Formats: sequence, structure tokens, C-alpha cells
Amino acid sequence: MTRLRRDPRAERTAIQVAGAARPRYDRTARRSSSGSGRPRRDPRAERAGQRVVGEARPRFDLSQVIRVEGPVIADTQPRATTAPAPPKILIVEDPAFLVAVVPDAPGGRLSAHDRQVLGAARALAGREGAVALLTLGACEGPGPAGADRWIRLDDGTEAYDPAGRAARIAAALNGLKPRHILFPESLDGGDLARRVAVRMGEPLFTNAEVVAANGLVRPAKGRRVEQRIAPGLLTTVAPDAVADYAGPPREARPVAVETEAASPAKLRILAAARVPADPATVPLALAEFVASAGNGITDLDTFRTLVAALRATPGASRVLCDAGLMPRHTQVGASGTVLAATCYFALGISGAPQHLQGVAGCEHVVAVNTDLHAAMIERAGLAIVQDAQIVMPALLRLLAQETGETP
Amino acid sequence: MKIAVLLSAGRHPVSGAAVLPRMEAQAIRLAAGLGEAIGLHAGPDAAAVREALGLGLARIEHVAIPEGGDPVPALIARLAALAPDLVLAGRRGQGGAESGIVPYALADALDLLLIPDVIAVTSGDGAGTLTLDQSLGRGALRRVSLRGPVLATVHPDAPPPLAYAYGRARRGSIDGLGSAPTLTAGPDMAVEERPYRRRPKLVKGAPTGGSAAERLKAATGESGSAAKGRLLVEPDPEEAAREILAYLRQIGVLAASSGASSDASTPTP
Ligand SMILES: Cc1cc2nc3c(=O)[nH]c(=O)nc-3n(C[C@H](O)[C@H](O)[C@H](O)COP(=O)(O)OP(=O)(O)OC[C@H]3O[C@@H](n4cnc5c(N)ncnc54)[C@H](O)[C@@H]3O)c2cc1C
Repeated sequence: MTRLRRDPRAERTAIQVAGAARPRYDRTARRSSSGSGRPRRDPRAERAGQRVVGEARPRFDLSQVIRVEGPVIADTQPRATTAPAPPKILIVEDPAFLVAVVPDAPGGRLSAHDRQVLGAARALAGREGAVALLTLGACEGPGPAGADRWIRLDDGTEAYDPAGRAARIAAALNGLKPRHILFPESLDGGDLARRVAVRMGEPLFTNAEVVAANGLVRPAKGRRVEQRIAPGLLTTVAPDAVADYAGPPREARPVAVETEAASPAKLRILAAARVPADPATVPLALAEFVASAGNGITDLDTFRTLVAALRATPGASRVLCDAGLMPRHTQVGASGTVLAATCYFALGISGAPQHLQGVAGCEHVVAVNTDLHAAMIERAGLAIVQDAQIVMPALLRLLAQETGETP
Repeated sequence: MKIAVLLSAGRHPVSGAAVLPRMEAQAIRLAAGLGEAIGLHAGPDAAAVREALGLGLARIEHVAIPEGGDPVPALIARLAALAPDLVLAGRRGQGGAESGIVPYALADALDLLLIPDVIAVTSGDGAGTLTLDQSLGRGALRRVSLRGPVLATVHPDAPPPLAYAYGRARRGSIDGLGSAPTLTAGPDMAVEERPYRRRPKLVKGAPTGGSAAERLKAATGESGSAAKGRLLVEPDPEEAAREILAYLRQIGVLAASSGASSDASTPTP
């Protein structure tokens, strides 16, 4: 048996690209002539084929395997950066199973924790399943948060009746027959989940920190052990443990479930009234909005009036607390209170590292300082380089003017 | 008023030593101001809750159940016999499964009203009525008045426990009520236990698909509000005040003034 004798030189001249000053060879052309039968891979072209079109930063869809068979033509033109097209809405037409989520949705808006639970549900649903959001009353933007279906029960009465609410949700869930049901482990959500679990007679896996199709994990025994289990029917998800849903928006198709009308239970709750937190007395660690004075503030009476007018909780830097100008329990920072506030309003505070540690968790910071290079000015979302002593009265004047206009 | 405080054998969260969970000690304090309170414990050993005597309870009833047994049937039987007007419990156990389901199972079986996360209890105006303050987080409350009997779970924001008193602990008594019919509930969930492993904390606002540099930026707080921060250098104080109020209203910490909208619509003379 004889094999064809190869002539490398002749092969090379055959594939030389004509017209180039520097010798260039088109190696894809050789495959057809050399008859080894095995297609030749071109990693560069495969990579280029996986590139997601239309994004400024290169992104590659690695799930796509493209065999490039044709000749490689390197595209030398830089890609025109196209404006991102409106994202396509993902539709799960015929889900194999449902993963239900019952959010807190305070005031008809999904909280950050609710979004995380939807992310967890999305992870459990995978490709075949669908996430069904079950809300009492209106809810903003369920689709972008990852819901494929949306069951909206009517509000019912405004009265505080947690048992009746749990009964209606349990009835709706019985009608829906989901494979998994997730709740947020918050004050309200945790309460609802336990009521529903007792009502359905199903075990509840509480405070899950890992949610995946192959197992749920929760801490137990004072965080000495963790318990792992295959996903069951009822689960509550711990806060800040699971990432939000980040994919393209989903459909959130409205679905109706028929529930048998719940028999009106005898109401033993006579009255329930919400008492909002008093900003002047709420502990600093729980406060929503903190206004703080530092060494740059000399007129503390105006500061106190301003704090009361803004309905903020008063805080202070260590210098003022050490000097006895503000009570010690108002100190913000590493050796004082670490805040969980939404907004921090710093007046005349330089922003020492020890102080900034206390503010690290605050989402919004407003700073007034005479020093442009103070660390607090750098940290702030709205920074004002101005004397706080004249900004404070201006704020008070403006607030008084507004309240004067509205009788 | 008859009050029962449910006591459990807890573990200290740091040292792991046997201790009465703090929320149950707080529950004893809430009960102390209201009337005659007794403790109720179902477990293998009453020594675990002896501390509660020093914290303000005069008498504890102990129902012996085998190690690892389900305390719920024993508690249901005893509470049905006692018929208290108010049952207080911690919102979660401490050192065990920590699922917080026991109060719900009891309330369901005994047909009690359940109010979670209570921080204060006072007797109401009418006979047999109670007023409970329920924590809604961040210092906000819901004041619920109701007609008992009621089971309330205690939130950590409730007033701190009474100081431990040695004399009180010596005078108090623990009454054994014999052992409950052993009803060891099989493990309803096939859990697999292993030592706890800390998981990386979720960085708020970090893009999930982003590059490492973007995630680092989110972690150090350079992205978000700080990155797109506005800087006003030496503005007019009135201007600065307007900017501050507008910003505070935009993020929703300050109530919007109806005056601002009305003066935009009505021309000023
Ligand atoms: C171990 C240790 C722990 C500490 N823990 C804490 C802590 O928990 N909390 C804490 O706060 N500190 C703490 N400190 C102290 C910290 O290091 C700083 O000294 C302190 O935070 C500075 O406070 P300040 O910003 O108010 O004062 P300064 O640093 O004196 O800053 C005053 C600022 O006000 C500005 N200013 C002056 N006049 C005006 C004006 N008319 N209008 C507007 N702005 C004006 C100035 O430009 C300056 O930026 C700690 C220190 C140590 C060593």
C-alpha cells in the first residue's frame, strides 16, 4: 500500500494569497486538498461567532458552539457600537412546573429582599419551569424582576388579619399546585410562611442561605452547623443571600386561580393602628434618616431645630460627643453606632475613617463642608462646599416658607 | 390574668453554653408587669431553664419528653389544661433547629390568636382585652387591641430582661409533671448536616455579570450614588438649601411639600 507523497513546498505555494506584499497563506483552503477528513478548527473564528452583538464591552455566549467551516476572513473593521436594542421579553409558554413566590411587596412595590427571592425562584425554575408571583393587590414591575406568571388576588379588607390573609394565600397556592413555594424571611414574610406551612401541614425550610436546584442550605444551632436538603415545597429565603434575577425581562402573564371563598372567621382583633417611628427617639441604629453635626458646627441650637424640622434622627461625630456638646448615644462611627440608614446628612464633618465606617451602609449621603478636599465630600452623593452655619438657617427659612404656604 | 411563658433550652450564640434564650428572658419581663405568670418547658431536663427563676418567674412546670422528641404535643396538652389568657414565646429558638414554627403549631392546635414580634403588652380598656405593640422594624409599631386568649412571640426590640436575682432563683420552684406520652416525631425532612461554612456576602448593587473591576467598584462604594455625586462649590446658601431639600425629597426620606406644587401652578402676584 502506498501513500501519496506530500510536497509541502507545493502545498504552500498553492495556498499563498495573491497580491499581498508580505507572503500570506490561506490555511483554510488546505483542508479540502489534504484529505485527512477531519475538519480543521479555527478557534479565533469560533470565538468571534460566540460574540454577543450590540454591546460595548465584549461579551461571549459560551453555550453556543459554532463550527466555522468556511474560509476565515478576518474582519478588520471595528464594530460599530450599536445602541442596545430593547431587550426581548422571555416567554415560557408551557412550563413543566411552577415555582411560586409570595413577596412582602410593601406599598405595592417589590422590596430588595423580594427581588432576591424572585432571583432564587428563577434559579429553581431553570429552563423548563416558570416563576409565578402571587400578590395581594397591585405590584410594580414583576416582569423585570423575573416573574413568568402573575397571580393577583384582590386586597380584601384593609384590616390587620394575618390569619385570614394566610388562609387566602394558602387557598390560592392549593389551586396553583406549584412544585416549590418561596417566601422572604422578613418580619411579615416569615410570619406568613409559618402560618401557611401550619395550614397546609407541610414542613417549612426556613432561612435558606443557598437556593439551587440541587439543594437548599440553612444555618442551624447558632450557625454551628448547616443543614442541606433537596428543595421541598415550602422555603423561606434569608436576606442578602441570593442574587437578584439579572436576565432579560420576563412575561409576568396574569393568571387567574379560582379559590373557594374563605368563610369569614370570627374577628378577635378589635383594632390595629400603625404607629410610625418617632425620629427623635428611635435608636440611631434603626433610624431611616440621620442628620449629623461635626466639629464644623458651632451653633448647635440651630442644628437641633433643623433636625426636628427635617424629621431626622440626630447624630454627631466623636469630637462633639467628647466635648459633651451632644449625648454619647448619638455618636456615629466605629466606636459609636454603625448606621443602617437610607440617608445620612453630614454637616461640618471631615469624614475620618473611623466616622466613615459608621456610614458605610448608608445608600445616600449629603455633605456640607467648607473644605473641598474633605473625605466626606468625596463620599457624598450631593456635596456642598459652603459654610454650614449659613446653610442651616437657609434650610430652616425654606422649610418655614413651605409650611407657611400650605395651611 | 393567667400568663404562660414558653421556655426552651437554648445555647449561647457565641460560647455555645446552655443558656435561657434572650427573647424568652424578655418575655418574662413583659409578663412580669401583667399578672401571675408561670413558665412551661417541655424537654429532657429542667435544669436547662432554671435560670428563668432568677429572671422573674416564681414557678416553672416541666413536662419530661425524651431527647430529640417533638415538644409540640406535650405543650398542647398542658396549655389546653392551663387555658391561659396570654401565652408568650420567643420568635425563634436558639441553638436548635431555629425554625420558629412551634408557636404557630401551638396556635393552630389550640385555636389561639397569634400575634408575632411583640415588644410591649398592656391590658386593654375592656375586660379580657389586651393591647399589644408589634414591631414592624426600624422603630415603627403596630398597636393591636384584641380579645384574648392570644399567643404572642417576642421580638428582640422588646425591653431588656430583668436582672438575675439569686434569692428569687432560690425561692422559685420547678414542678415536674411527669413525662408526656412519647411521641417521637420522625424527622419530617431528610436533612444532611455539616459544619457551617460562611458564604461570601452579597455586594449590594454589584452587577452580576459585570467584570471584576465593576464588582470591586461596587464593593468599595465608588459606584452608585457616590460615583455620580453632584458637587456644588460655594453656592448661594438659598440655592444650596433648595438643592438639599430637592435631593432629600427625591430619595424619599423627606415628605414632599404640597406648597412647592401649588406655587408652581398659581402665578405669584
Ligand atoms: C480609636 C478611635 C476611634 C474613633 N472613633 C470615632 C467614631 O466612632 N466616630 C467619630 O465620629 N470619630 C471617631 N474618631 C475620631 C475621628 O478620628 C475624628 O477625629 C473625628 O471623626 C473628627 O470629627 P469631625 O469630622 O467632626 O471634626 P474635624 O475633623 O475637626 O472636622 C471638622 C470639619 O468641619 C469643617 N468645617 C469647619 N467649619 C465649618 C463650617 N463653618 N461649615 C462647614 N464645615 C466646616 C472642616 O472643614 C472639617 O472638615 C475615632 C478616633 C480614634 C483614634
